[in-house]
Amino acid sequence: MEKERILEVRDLELHYFTRKGVVKAVDKLSFDLRKGETLGVVGESGCGKTTMGTALLNMPTPPGRIVGGQILIGGRDVLKLSEAEVRRRVRWEQISMVFQGAMNCLTPVYTIEKQMKETLQQHREMPKDEAMKRMVQYLNLVGLPEQVLKRYPHELSGGMKQRIVIAMGLFLEPQVVICDEPTTALDVVVQAQIINLLKELKEQLSVSFIFITHDLSIEAEVSDRIMVMYAGRIAELGTNEQIYGPQGPAHPYTQRLMAATPRLHEEVEELAFIPGTPPDLVAPPTGCRFHPRCHVVMDRCSRDDLPLREIEPDHLVACWRCFHE
Amino acid sequence: MTKRDFSQMKALWDEFRRIKFGMVGLALLGMFAILVIIEPLIVPFPDAASRWRDMTYWVDNPRNAKPVWVNWFTSKDYAPSARIESDAFASEASGSGRMYVTEIPYKYHWVQAPTDITLRLGVTGNATYQVEFVRPDGLSVSYMKTSKSTGTRDVRISIAQNMAPQMFQFAQKIEDPAVMNSVTAATVNPLAILFGKAEKGALLRGDKPLTGTYTVKVTALTADATASLDEVELIVAGGVQGILGTDNMKRDLWSGLIAGTKWALIIGLLTSFIAVVVGVIYGVTSGYYGGFVDSLMNRIYEIFASVPLLPILIVMSAVFKPSIWIMISMMCIFFWVGPVRTVRSIALQIKESSYIEAARGLGASNRRILFRHMIPQLVPYAFASMALSVPGAIVYEASISLIGLGDATRVTWGQILQAAFSSGAVLQGIWWWVVPPGVAIAVMGMTFAFIGFAMDTILNPKLKTR
Amino acid sequence: MSEPILVAENLTKWFPVKRNLTQVLRGQRTWVRAVDKVSFTINKGEIFGLVGESGCGKTTTGKLIMKLLEITDGTLHMQGENVTHIGGQALEKYRRQVQMIFQDPYSSMNPRFTVREVLMEPLEIHNVGKDVKERESWIREILNEVKLSPPDEFLVRHPHMLSGGQRQRAATARTLMLNPSIIVADEPVSMIDLSTRAEILHMMRQLQRELGLTYVYITHDLSTARYFTDRLAVMYLGKIIEMGVAGSVIDRTLHPYTKALIAAVCEPVSGKVNRIKDVPIKGEIPAATNIPPGCRFHPRCLYAVEECWQEEEPTLVDVGGGHKVACRRYAEIERLGDAARTSEASLGMKRTSLRT
Repeated sequence: MEKERILEVRDLELHYFTRKGVVKAVDKLSFDLRKGETLGVVGESGCGKTTMGTALLNMPTPPGRIVGGQILIGGRDVLKLSEAEVRRRVRWEQISMVFQGAMNCLTPVYTIEKQMKETLQQHREMPKDEAMKRMVQYLNLVGLPEQVLKRYPHELSGGMKQRIVIAMGLFLEPQVVICDEPTTALDVVVQAQIINLLKELKEQLSVSFIFITHDLSIEAEVSDRIMVMYAGRIAELGTNEQIYGPQGPAHPYTQRLMAATPRLHEEVEELAFIPGTPPDLVAPPTGCRFHPRCHVVMDRCSRDDLPLREIEPDHLVACWRCFHE
Repeated sequence: MTKRDFSQMKALWDEFRRIKFGMVGLALLGMFAILVIIEPLIVPFPDAASRWRDMTYWVDNPRNAKPVWVNWFTSKDYAPSARIESDAFASEASGSGRMYVTEIPYKYHWVQAPTDITLRLGVTGNATYQVEFVRPDGLSVSYMKTSKSTGTRDVRISIAQNMAPQMFQFAQKIEDPAVMNSVTAATVNPLAILFGKAEKGALLRGDKPLTGTYTVKVTALTADATASLDEVELIVAGGVQGILGTDNMKRDLWSGLIAGTKWALIIGLLTSFIAVVVGVIYGVTSGYYGGFVDSLMNRIYEIFASVPLLPILIVMSAVFKPSIWIMISMMCIFFWVGPVRTVRSIALQIKESSYIEAARGLGASNRRILFRHMIPQLVPYAFASMALSVPGAIVYEASISLIGLGDATRVTWGQILQAAFSSGAVLQGIWWWVVPPGVAIAVMGMTFAFIGFAMDTILNPKLKTR
Repeated sequence: MSEPILVAENLTKWFPVKRNLTQVLRGQRTWVRAVDKVSFTINKGEIFGLVGESGCGKTTTGKLIMKLLEITDGTLHMQGENVTHIGGQALEKYRRQVQMIFQDPYSSMNPRFTVREVLMEPLEIHNVGKDVKERESWIREILNEVKLSPPDEFLVRHPHMLSGGQRQRAATARTLMLNPSIIVADEPVSMIDLSTRAEILHMMRQLQRELGLTYVYITHDLSTARYFTDRLAVMYLGKIIEMGVAGSVIDRTLHPYTKALIAAVCEPVSGKVNRIKDVPIKGEIPAATNIPPGCRFHPRCLYAVEECWQEEEPTLVDVGGGHKVACRRYAEIERLGDAARTSEASLGMKRTSLRT
């Protein structure tokens, strides 16, 4: 089932240059995104998932800077293009992003129509009626009526605002949409609505999504493949079945995260937790960055540089223990 | 001061250091502070502040003398002020009394003659005095005066006031009669004559100076042995004197400006400190309590904020004698409204914080929450606000003084300006009277504005995100 | 041996909405009915959950219990005493017995205070201990209890120098300073990383056992509620619509709203990627100023019949084992399942399944 690869990331490195030192937030990340799939990126705070999202748009938050690697879209390395080219042809045209808390970034003093039109026209010259047609088309696609255009953000609910922001991420018809925690601030019922929406869109538009969240449960219901990040690196990358299926994930970190997730219909005596805290990325641990907190750590985990290897088709893990099995 | 406060101040300082114009402001402030501290060392007239209106203190200064450094910009150098004391007295008995003789050399190498030369004779008892000015070309002019009095006193002989007729006669001997006809003893410049080349046609025009060493001989003939000539001082009232010259009351402007610095700082800092402290407490209380208390306090605030301060001050000074302390009090009474609005909105924000709620959940009293939780948050803003109100206070005082309502017994920059304008300094071209105090006000305002803006820059983002 | 420690009867909190001039002149008044006749009994030593979406009134109920808000109507009894409207000394005594852990561990502590000052504050307010040394040793003891050791290392830190988990431990320590009987925890772990959540909950459970505490655990996360609470109450628009033992409410759900919540929750199992979630609910939450007549859930209920909006609002009925539900059709729904539905709609989406 080799689908066409839309996005290829090779050895991406993003560092934050702070007064306290250089924070290696994203450390030689490599992965692919295939056409029409949803790739989930899951990890806890500080793992670098949001940073990676902005890096894909070549928009690192200062004092961050991309210091290495390639981001290939349609064979072309985005990092080699000038800022002007990126702005014109890549951002929003090929990749767009729905930022964390984006629904709260809608300006309260302008109508939805004005804000959507502004974004649309910043990227493409479009006559007014065509712009209007497209906006309505995409609003309907996300399940909102045309009347929403005349409203102000404060008149709409959280779910509606989130859908508008998703529509804005889609209406230039990019190939990839990155969603960063799109459901975090929403109630569980509205969250289900948005999740259903994303599934529908994926099928109708054959857009590829990158779904970034800290919630393992949501990923299970949304993503075809899941990438688990820890301390700026990929710990595990596998299909939904491989990670959430009966055999369970391979990487000890993923395993513990699963064990730490409460289940709705199971009586769990004691939830697992991982002692310690994520490492300081200015001076991360040697070898595997998770080894200080790992419950099955071995000697070589702290010594040797850790590669990401395929242990079965489509399943990559960065863990010495898994390579031996 | 707890350790927490120290580490916070250090963090604040580290950030402040990175803002260039903040550091410039701080440097300027340091300069002003140093000037105030070393005032007695750097001013030629240390009692300027208390004796500003005392004519006798300034008696030996020239009137409207330009600053000394003007000489660097002109080829026609002005003779600077000088005071030369004689050191050697020859005295011998003569008749029933004594004869005292002393000489003071005076090197002259300028173009524009001094405004006056005065000989101050410290004498006791009765005597007759003769002053002879011997020019480098050998010619001389002399003057005699008898002074009868007991006790020790100063006898002053001034060329401009006393020796004009003598100089006139001297000129007559040398100058072209035709030129002499057009002038009288009252209209000539006696000092220009003394210091001019003895050339026909040039002497009265005063553009050819006679440079060289002049000798001033003073002879005193006392009537009896109890009288004496104690000291002789040659006081040259130059065309230029001091770092900033003098005004038309002969006051040294540099001394006045430095003396005024202290007042500028006092007025500025005191007013803004009191105003900000009151304003912050008022704003926090109003914002925290909300409801009826807030509404009431808001109304009171609005009343104070809408009252125009200037007419009030005018009325006050009509009723009371204008004193600087009354002025400061009035400014405090009205300046406190400045920070209230912002402080209140910050308080409203802080009020909603979780930790305030937590404190209430713990049972904290309102007073505790106000003083331990809310006001400490506002201290940084208070500092910035203080810095920014200082220029306002200084300018207010200057404005009040300018329209004549200020405290005339103190030397403030505003007072200096007021005197300048009322004496028509601008029209007379006495720029050194007008420009320095104005510049000083501007610079001090700038100093505090820089500091205040720098603090604002550091603090504002934090205020917004919290 | 469970005796009631906190009893709420018809607890009500209505907030007045600011009126403009026209409304004042017309004598109109609108209320936000945040908590609307809520009754429950919490037993000593149990963990009682208040669950619901945002705006359901769970946080407000927590604040009423904390007496951070004035009770508009109804009564609250603690250990037999009526504490509905108390002040002065009685309120002070109450405060020492009921404490709160807040959702955001960072903003719930004054960022300028050190941990020592944060923990010292309750002791200073209530004059506990005879001198500073005694207070400090008590603080140290509590810090050890919450596993922030060695205490000396943590006493001098400010909140921003602590990790999220550590902050929440410090916040818990603060609640323990006055030896309370009841702790109200408002979403205590929702802002903490997943890998640390269980650690904090574990600590809370340990403290409960050691100190005989009672918790009121407020959350929107049903899964965590299932794990942590003994009994829970599900709230909707200011009312408790279902209540009972946690496992019972979640496994044997009776109320349509609870059913919708359960269906909406995501679970970390495979095989759901290509399936649309079937959540049996429609429409949006109405504003709390405009509560629907009859059963307040009826506009969104897929099982609603005429009586649901024409008759009076249903009250909680005990269906056995302490499991209570406020729905007149619960028995039918349990019996007939989907067949009891009276409406086709579901979450406003057009299709209900995806072609693979």
